[in-house]
Parts: sequence; C-alpha cells; structure tokens
Amino acid sequence: MDNPTDLKYLATHEWVRIDTDVATVGVTDHAQDQLGEIVFAELPDVGDSFSQGDDMCNIESSKAVGEVHAPVSGEVIEVNETLEDEPEKINSEPYTGGYLLKIKMSNPNEVDSLLDAAAYQATLG
Amino acid sequence: MVDPRKTPLYDMQVKMGGKIVNFEDWMMPVKFEGVIEEHKWTRQHAGIFDISHMTEFMVEGPDAVPLLKTLMTNSVGIGDFKAQYNHMCYPDGGVIDDLYIYREREDKVRIIANAQTLETDGKDFNWIKDHIGDFDATITDLSLDRARLAFQGPETMKLLNPITKADITQIKRFNWIYTEVTPSPTSPTSQETIPIFLSRTGYTGEDDFSPALGSFEISCDNKHAEALYQTFLDTGAKPIGLGARDSLRLECCYALYGHELNAGITTIEAGLGWVVKEKEGTKFIGQEVILKQKVEGAPRVSVGLNLLDKGILREGYKIFKDGEEIGYVTSGTFAPTLEKTVGLAIITPEHRAVGTELDVQIRKKMKKAVIVKTPFYTRGRNI
Repeated sequence: MDNPTDLKYLATHEWVRIDTDVATVGVTDHAQDQLGEIVFAELPDVGDSFSQGDDMCNIESSKAVGEVHAPVSGEVIEVNETLEDEPEKINSEPYTGGYLLKIKMSNPNEVDSLLDAAAYQATLG
Repeated sequence: MVDPRKTPLYDMQVKMGGKIVNFEDWMMPVKFEGVIEEHKWTRQHAGIFDISHMTEFMVEGPDAVPLLKTLMTNSVGIGDFKAQYNHMCYPDGGVIDDLYIYREREDKVRIIANAQTLETDGKDFNWIKDHIGDFDATITDLSLDRARLAFQGPETMKLLNPITKADITQIKRFNWIYTEVTPSPTSPTSQETIPIFLSRTGYTGEDDFSPALGSFEISCDNKHAEALYQTFLDTGAKPIGLGARDSLRLECCYALYGHELNAGITTIEAGLGWVVKEKEGTKFIGQEVILKQKVEGAPRVSVGLNLLDKGILREGYKIFKDGEEIGYVTSGTFAPTLEKTVGLAIITPEHRAVGTELDVQIRKKMKKAVIVKTPFYTRGRNI
C-alpha cells in the first residue's frame, strides 16, 4: 500500500491528516504490517492532552505492543470508537477507517517538523 | 557475534512468504498468512509446524533407562514405542527443561527437548552427559542432523494417513513408530520413500484419543527435510508460524519453557505435579524439594486468568489483590478460538481459587481479571 501523499508522517510510523487546526492520527501501513493482526487498541480519553512526541496510546497485536506517539501537541477531541469492536480495521484500512483519534492542535507550527510521504518512505530503507 | 541459526526449511519458508523473526537465536517464521488465521485453520483443518529448532538426543546402552530415571521427574517406566512428558530439574527443584522421552528399547531412548539459544546451547545434552558417571550409557546429539515437524489439527489423520506406509489411525496417543512417507510428485527428492520417526503427540490440543482425531510430531534426516515439508504441504495442510504455535499452546495451557517454567520455577509451582512420580529404588535430581512441595504445597502456584477489562495480558505484568502484589503473568494472548484475553500467571497460593478477582497492572492502569479453570480450551469444549 502506498503512503498517501496528502498526509504527514513521523519516523515512528504515525500519520497525520491536517484539516485546519484538527489533526487526524493513525499508524502507517508499514507499522500495521510489522505488528501483525491488531487485537486491541488502547486509546486515550477525549479531553486528554499530549505534547508532541508523548506516548499517546498503544495498539497490540497477537504478538507485540506498539506505542503510538503524539505527532502534534494538543487535546484529544475524538477517538475512533469502532476500533473497540473492530481493531483489525487498523490492519485493513490503516489510512481511513482504521484511524485512531483526532487532536485539536495547540501549536500548528509543529506540522512543519513532520515528514512528507517521500521522506517517510525514505526512512523505511 | 555469531549469526542466528536457520533450520533446513528456512529457504522454503522465506519463499513461501513467511515473516521471519529471531526466536532463541533461530531465524523462524512467526507467521505466513496471519497468526489468528493460522490458529483457526489449525483448530478446524490441519497445519504444519517447523520445529526443527528443537533439540533431539539419543540415549543408548544397557543403563539408558536407569540413567534417565535419576534425571527425569516422571516414571520413565514406559513400554517400547511409548512417549512420556518429563521435566529435568536442578537439585533445588527449578526446571532445566521440559521434554519428551520416546523409548525404543530398554537400551535406546530418544529425547526431544526445547530449542536453546546460542548462549544456552548444549544445556540439556551436557546435563545428561555430565551425569552418566558409572552408568553404562551414551548420549548422542541428533539436533542438527535431523529436522522436526508437527502435523496438527482435526484433519491430520485424513491428510497424513494416505501417504504413510503404516496405518497411523492404529497409533494410540503417546505412542510412536518408525514408518515411511511417499513423497509428493512436486517434492524435491528422487527418493521413493522418506523414513520418519512419527509420534502421536503435540502442542496444539488437537487430539482427543479417538482413532480419527490424532495429531503428530515427526522427525527425519535433514536431507529429506524439504521433501517431507513439501509433501506435507501438498496434502492441503497449511504452513503455520511460531505465533500461532504459541497461541494454540496457550489456549490449552501447555507450559512454555522460559515463561511458565524456568530455573527459578519448580515443576510443582508450575502446576505440573502429575509429571512427578516417585520411583522405586531411584531418586531423581530435585526430588527432595519437589516431593515436599507436592505434599505440603508450593510457595507459589500457577493459575489461568481471563482479563475482564479490555486489553491484552503480557508476560511480566504484575498481579495485585487488595493492593498487595501477589505474582505476575507468565504468558498472555488474545485467544482466537475463545475470543477472550487469557493468560497464565504465577501467584501466592491463598488467592488461587477459581472465580477470584484480581488486578493486573497494564502500564499505568489496573485492570480486572478473574481466575478461571484451566485449560482454557479442550477440543470441543471451551471456557
């Protein structure tokens, strides 16, 4: 699966879709492939705040725990509740139905520090 | 640094799309199509597991059985062509390894034991060798000369019996034979038959003692490994990785060395008292501690857990009762057949009763778990 070019990325395999001051966050196709079948997503609560780079939540596959870092600072305004019953959506639709949460950004300038699709692809070697 | 080792089936597994990981310094497939899919396939159909990373020894000589009686916790007193699960222990009762013995004759006993890392390589072999002393016996390491496979699942008999020379439906559970397999046309061999060691044992729980539903473990000379693997896959059984091997064994609550068992956990603490038999005229190493614990109870016990809150149990998570730390998780997984999060744990005995609610610390949060009856899965009957 190609990494969509309209998204921004972290080298730690998170993606972000920026819509004015709201960032939708998920994990990349590469990340879900490395973890294997996701069986549980431990998402934060709406209202939780994070700084860029914080451990924000965990997604767990049958064999491993993957830490998800906050790509930008801000407050969680929505979590993807469908993942509670269908965490496997992170595998099947990593860039769409398998998104994790939405953050209201407190510092939109942080977006400049994120990678574009080509730069992220380059980190995968 | 020494490179991790590869089994004789490594190249085939890479070609088949196996996702390779380092397990105990062996490059092994953790999955092919997916852990959960492979797990369910094995429960419903049949799967082939490469277990060539495990170790295999032959103990021979007039004193083969008397020697093993001094090292093994179980009776060892089995007939020819029978298999028996055993532990070898240190004097303090801590487990060196869990293994199977397969008696061929009074003077010839095969052993199949766990894989060793590069660091622990030779652990079991040397332990046995170093205890031969005055016994008239020898031990040979066959590990790297032979490949080992498991053919497991309810369709095993249907798929395997047509290609074996012997009628394997006649083999009872915990029995074994030497037989031959007819290679499939696509398998890379010019041999007319492949000689194998075939044991009706397994690590998946897919055997119910009836003639129709048996699973097997097999070993063969390395030079036939690829042909045998291909022949098995050509029956329609699917290749299964280590991920599903782990979740299948955990649903059955089979101990995994390094997790439920180790040098710091005794056979009794691991809940495996049935593996301990007093033997007339012989003491086994560790007997004093183990028999005492068997009679008086051990300081810790093994229990099965079902996580009531959302999440996954993982090895090492701490367990609390009323705020007091009472033990830790030894293995945990999402159990695909049960669709529940289950785990095994070692705790202090006073809280062992089925139905007891406990707290498990998962990262920063306390989650509710309950002690449940084990095994979690028995063929045809779930928790």
